[in-house]
Amino acid sequence: MTTVLPDRATVLVRRPGVRELHPVGAHRRRRALELSLAVAVPLLLVLLWQLAASRAWIDDRVYPAPSTILADGWDRAAAGELWPDVWATLRRVLAGYAVGTATGYLLGLLMGSLPLVRAALEPLLDALYVVPKLALLPVFLNMFGLGEGPQVALVAATVFFFVWISTMSAVIAVPAGHRDAGRVFGASPWQMFRHVLLPASLPSVLVGARIAAGVAVLVIVASEQIAAADGLGHLIFDSRALFQNDVMFVGIVCVAVLGVLFSELVRIAGRLLTPWAPRDRGRGQS
Amino acid sequence: MGEPYPKLRATDLTRTFGRTPHTVDALGPLGLTVAAGEFVCVVGPSGCGKSTLLRIAAGLLRPSTGTLEIRTTSPHPVAMIFQDYGIYDWKTVQANVRFGLDVQRVPRREANARAADWLARLGLADFAHAYPATLSGGMRQRVAIARALAVEPELLLMDEPFAALDAQLRTILQDELLEITQALHTTTLFITHSLEEAIVLGDRVLVMSARPGRIIAERRPPFPRPRTGGIRSAPAFTALKGELWDLLRKEAVPA
Repeated sequence: MTTVLPDRATVLVRRPGVRELHPVGAHRRRRALELSLAVAVPLLLVLLWQLAASRAWIDDRVYPAPSTILADGWDRAAAGELWPDVWATLRRVLAGYAVGTATGYLLGLLMGSLPLVRAALEPLLDALYVVPKLALLPVFLNMFGLGEGPQVALVAATVFFFVWISTMSAVIAVPAGHRDAGRVFGASPWQMFRHVLLPASLPSVLVGARIAAGVAVLVIVASEQIAAADGLGHLIFDSRALFQNDVMFVGIVCVAVLGVLFSELVRIAGRLLTPWAPRDRGRGQS
Repeated sequence: MGEPYPKLRATDLTRTFGRTPHTVDALGPLGLTVAAGEFVCVVGPSGCGKSTLLRIAAGLLRPSTGTLEIRTTSPHPVAMIFQDYGIYDWKTVQANVRFGLDVQRVPRREANARAADWLARLGLADFAHAYPATLSGGMRQRVAIARALAVEPELLLMDEPFAALDAQLRTILQDELLEITQALHTTTLFITHSLEEAIVLGDRVLVMSARPGRIIAERRPPFPRPRTGGIRSAPAFTALKGELWDLLRKEAVPA
C-alpha cells in the first residue's frame, strides 16, 4: 500500500480493489457465498442432528432423526392425514389475521390523525397491549363457546395490536409538509387519506403486518394446544401425549414452513404495494 | 511548484457505479495534483462526481481505475467535513470536537485541551456542554469545522460544508474559514456549488464537467494572501466569477 520516499514521508495510495477491478465476478462470488451460507448452515445442523440420532448420541425416541421425520411427514401427507390439521390452522390464522389487520389499521389511522380519539383510547389500548393475549383465551372461550370463534378472536386480538401500533406511529410520523401540501390544495379527508396518509404510512404499516403474520402463527399454535380438537398445535401436543415424537416434529416443521410462507407472502405483497419504498429485507429492519 | 512530491496526486482516476448493463460513469478520467499547503476548490454541476472524488480521497470509496496518492507521515492524514449529519446529536459540542482525538487515542487531558482551544477559536466556548440539537445551523457547522481541525489533519476535505446555510451565514463562515486556513496552511480540497465561495477561499479553482466529471478548466484567483472577504467587491472578482460561470453554464444546462 505504501512506498517509502527519500524524505521519509510515505505515500498513501487509494487504488481500485478487487470489487472495482472485477465487478461482475466479485458480485457473483459474493452472491454465491451468501446463498451457499444460507443453505449450508441449516443443512449442516440437520446433518449433525441426523448423525447424532444415528450414532445414538441422543435418544432417537425423544429426538427422532430428521430422515425419520421426513419419511413420516411424507407418508402422512400422501395418506392425507396431515392436511386437515394444516387446513384448520391455516383457516383460523387467515380469518383472524384479516379481522385483526383491518380493525388495527382503521383504529391506527383514526388515532393517528385525530388527537382526541388518540387521547380517549391510547391509555386503554396501552394497558390491554401488555396483557399476554393467550391469557385472553379463557375470556374468548366464554364469549364464543367452543369452536372456531375463540381461536380466530385470539389471532385477531394479537394481530390487531401489532398493526394498530405500527399504523398509529406511522401516521403520526407523516411529515407535516406532506399534510400541508394536501391541505393547501383543499384535499377532503378522503382525498387526504387516499393521496397522502395511506401511501406515506404504508411502508411501516407493512413492516408491522409482516411481524404480525409470524406472531399470528405462533399464537394459533399455542391456543390450539390448549383448546382445539384439530390444527397443527393440537397435532403437536396430542402426539407428544401419545409418545409419537416423530409426528410431533412433523407438526413443528409444518408450523415453521407455514410461518415462513405466510410472512414471506406478506412481504412480497408489501413490495408490490409500495414500489417506491426501500426494500424491507428482513426481520432486523423492524 | 518546485515541490518534487505533491501532497495529493490523482492519476487517470475513474469511478463507475452499478453493474453491467446498468453502469453509470460518475467520474473521470481525472488527473489532479495538489501541492502541500494549497487550498484547491472544485466547482461543477450537480451530479458531476465532485463528491465521488472527495470520497475516494477520504478512503470511503475506491476508484474503479487509476490511483490517488496522498503523501503523508501519518496513517490517518485526512479529516472531512460533511454538508450535514457529520456531527453526532448524542455527544455534547465538546465531545463532538474531541471525537477524532478520542478515536486516535489522544490522552484525555490533551484531547480536552485541544478541543477547548478549537472551541474558543470558533466562538463555541460557551456551548461546550450543549447538545448539537440546541444549536443553529451555523453553530453546528462550526462544530464540524472544529472537529475536523482538532485532529490537525494533513489533508482537509470539505464537501459543500456551507450548502445548507442561508446566504448571510455562508458569507460569515467563509470569512471565518478564510482566516483560519490562512493561519494553518492545511492542504485542503474544497467542493462547492458556489463560485463566490470558491474564489474567496481557493488558491486554485477547478471547474468540472458534467458527468462523468473531468477537470475542464483551472483558474487562480488573482488575490494575494492573506486576503479578506473584502475581495468580493473587487472588479477582478466579478470578472473571474463571470468567466467561471460561462464555463460552468455550458456543463450545467444539459443536465
